[in-house]
Amino acid sequence: MQSNSIVYSPFIRTKDSTTKVMIDVMLALLPCLVMSYLAFGLVPLSLVAVAVGSAIVTEFIFSFIFLHRIDTLNDGSAIVTGILLAFTLGAFTPLYVVSFGAAMGVIFGKLLWGGLGRNMFNPALIGREFMTIFFPTVMTSASIWYNKTAVNIQSINILDNEFMSSLFFKASGAVGEYSIIFLSLGGLFLLLRRRISWHIPFALFAVFSVGLFILMYLLPEKQITFSLGGLILGTLFMATDMPSSASTAWGKCYYGAMIGLAALIFISNGVRYEYMSYSILLLNGFTGVINWTFRPRAWGRKLNLLTRIWQVITLSATILLFVFAIIALHEIGGIQYLLYIFIIYCIVYFIMIDTKKEKA
Amino acid sequence: MMHILSMKSKTKNMAIKAIADAPIFQIPLLQHIGKPAQPIVKAEDYVKQYQLIGKAAEGISANIHSPVSGTVLGIEDIVLPDGLKVPSILVKNDYKYDKLLLSDVDEFSEGSIIDIIKDAGIVGAGGAQFPTNLKYNIGNKKIDTLIINGTECEPYLTADYALMSEFTEELLRGIFIVNKILKAENIVITIERQNKELRNKIAPYLIQEKYKNIHIQILPNIYPQGGELQLIKSVTGIELPRTRLPKDIGVIVSNVATVFSVYQAVETHKPVVSRFITISGDKSKNYGNYEVKIGTPLSHILKEMNISSENKNIIMGGPMMGKNVTNLNVPIIKGVSALLFMEEKNNERNNCIFCGYCVEVCPMHLMPMKFEEIYRAGKYFKLEKYSLSNCIECAACEYICPSNVPLIESIKEGKNKLKELINAIQ
Repeated sequence: MQSNSIVYSPFIRTKDSTTKVMIDVMLALLPCLVMSYLAFGLVPLSLVAVAVGSAIVTEFIFSFIFLHRIDTLNDGSAIVTGILLAFTLGAFTPLYVVSFGAAMGVIFGKLLWGGLGRNMFNPALIGREFMTIFFPTVMTSASIWYNKTAVNIQSINILDNEFMSSLFFKASGAVGEYSIIFLSLGGLFLLLRRRISWHIPFALFAVFSVGLFILMYLLPEKQITFSLGGLILGTLFMATDMPSSASTAWGKCYYGAMIGLAALIFISNGVRYEYMSYSILLLNGFTGVINWTFRPRAWGRKLNLLTRIWQVITLSATILLFVFAIIALHEIGGIQYLLYIFIIYCIVYFIMIDTKKEKA
Repeated sequence: MMHILSMKSKTKNMAIKAIADAPIFQIPLLQHIGKPAQPIVKAEDYVKQYQLIGKAAEGISANIHSPVSGTVLGIEDIVLPDGLKVPSILVKNDYKYDKLLLSDVDEFSEGSIIDIIKDAGIVGAGGAQFPTNLKYNIGNKKIDTLIINGTECEPYLTADYALMSEFTEELLRGIFIVNKILKAENIVITIERQNKELRNKIAPYLIQEKYKNIHIQILPNIYPQGGELQLIKSVTGIELPRTRLPKDIGVIVSNVATVFSVYQAVETHKPVVSRFITISGDKSKNYGNYEVKIGTPLSHILKEMNISSENKNIIMGGPMMGKNVTNLNVPIIKGVSALLFMEEKNNERNNCIFCGYCVEVCPMHLMPMKFEEIYRAGKYFKLEKYSLSNCIECAACEYICPSNVPLIESIKEGKNKLKELINAIQ
């Protein structure tokens, strides 16, 4: 009767799972998928299908090779990565590039780190960066965003108001951005389901809009263009990605605020398309430090406010330094070297973890 | 803190019934924090019901009494719910119930009440099992607030509820006795919102002059509201560090069942030989609130309740902080509040996805997922950087975790590893 293996408490759990988290994200993105059909018919749908299919196949094969697991598809994260990646792309991006991006996103964004949850960066954005670096001409051509002959419905009239109508539906931008209203409703759904918390989106939007206002006031002659849809997609679905974002309440606020600030600096310094990916990926890299710096004050212990403030200042200075370094690199066209370093780092990291595991 | 499944409705309004006495009782000499009691009987001795059979050792320890009359069969090592093996006195029940009550006291002084509490072997019934006479020994400290803990925050548990509901007057008399020692100006009985109807039972007594300093405070249904530190914060607003005792800030917290034991010892001269437990759980065929004698083996309860032990997870205590029991010989002891029959635990573990739910619910403001990460990496020294010692092991983190990450295992084993490392250095 007596067994030596201890069963640890608790003996009840909420009926929640990683799969349910992912299903909620899929549900939140579903309305935008419908809107993309309204915009360009089957073109964006096939793009999403290819991204998801490629992510699934890659996950299955490489999860077996790298992690010796065949059940990792069950959590649904590959599907989410596929959809999110597709949502950041132009509807007419060549499908072989899309499938390459999704595969790289899964391999370098997730599996080499040890699978879902162990990844430092957002897999969908990693996939996107692989595409822009390895297929620069494709990704910078205007033809991937719009094709007049493929337009299904050009616009939908809402309340006889042009602005409202464009928020509700506009056949321009990336696949996920055709309807800002449904994108926001998806975010609201995740907020109500507690899959994201208000901290990151709130801090991000607040810093971004206040910053934008100040910038426009100080430099009225400066042309600042950015896509609202891209900002919202990035804020609600990319910056809030659980594994790669901060986990403590104040940490999330800071993390969101710094993404907003970084994005604004990128935009005003001529990073026209990649500002959101750069900001989020950069802050992804600092998540661990942010969690430590903004760890909650343990019960009954004193908060050493001065130390914490000093830590925040040095952290912020470091992040800003990186922001300007990336801008400089961007200007001289050297971003690809960052990706090469990243690839080497991923592989070395994986080999180290893997040999450690074999020893144990 | 977090909202948690209640699961109490099944047993909440069931009257307390007695479980028929076992033929043989196994009474562990360690049912408290501290040193085991010294056996003062030997094999073949005849003992009466309520007779002292284990005498409290020097220092922190507590008396142990026989729950029935009968013959001592011997002293053997018995496994406790937490897996520890301790010497236990085996008493063969002769079903005669020859009684030997605690000696009477003519006049109650503070000292004599503390002596009775010590004689009766009363320990904290909420689970901590700290000897109550030591807790109430406040020296020259002044107690402002006495908190009577009726916040039974773990799911399924209703034994304290049943006690408050059926023995309301006895409980209040117990409080009155306890406060003769503590002399607190303010006494607060805390009740969860889901049990707020208890107020109607208790309130009518409070108009009496001797109960005029007793108040009822309804607290939200959150877990772990009944934890000592959380309770003190809710009632007094003070965030007591784990390194300090409640009495240092003029507060004493006692469980309702502990106070009831004090009443029984002082007014009916009975030592602690039984307690109220809830029998429940998703896989329990029969359920309810029961009075069970200390030392009753699990196998006897299973037989009486007509429940098989197969294909279920048997838990002594609540589903959040209780212990999983596989040995059917394990007896009910003074700190066991429930016997639950649950589904086998789902051992499908996934990677932490850093959702931060555990950070949100941690009542001690910690980052539980970091403990798992550090424990997995084997860098045990780093655990204290994240204040591991602050953890009260309430298991809220693992309850809420969508990935079923082994947080409590990492925390408990992490504490052990840390202790080993520190011992190795010294």
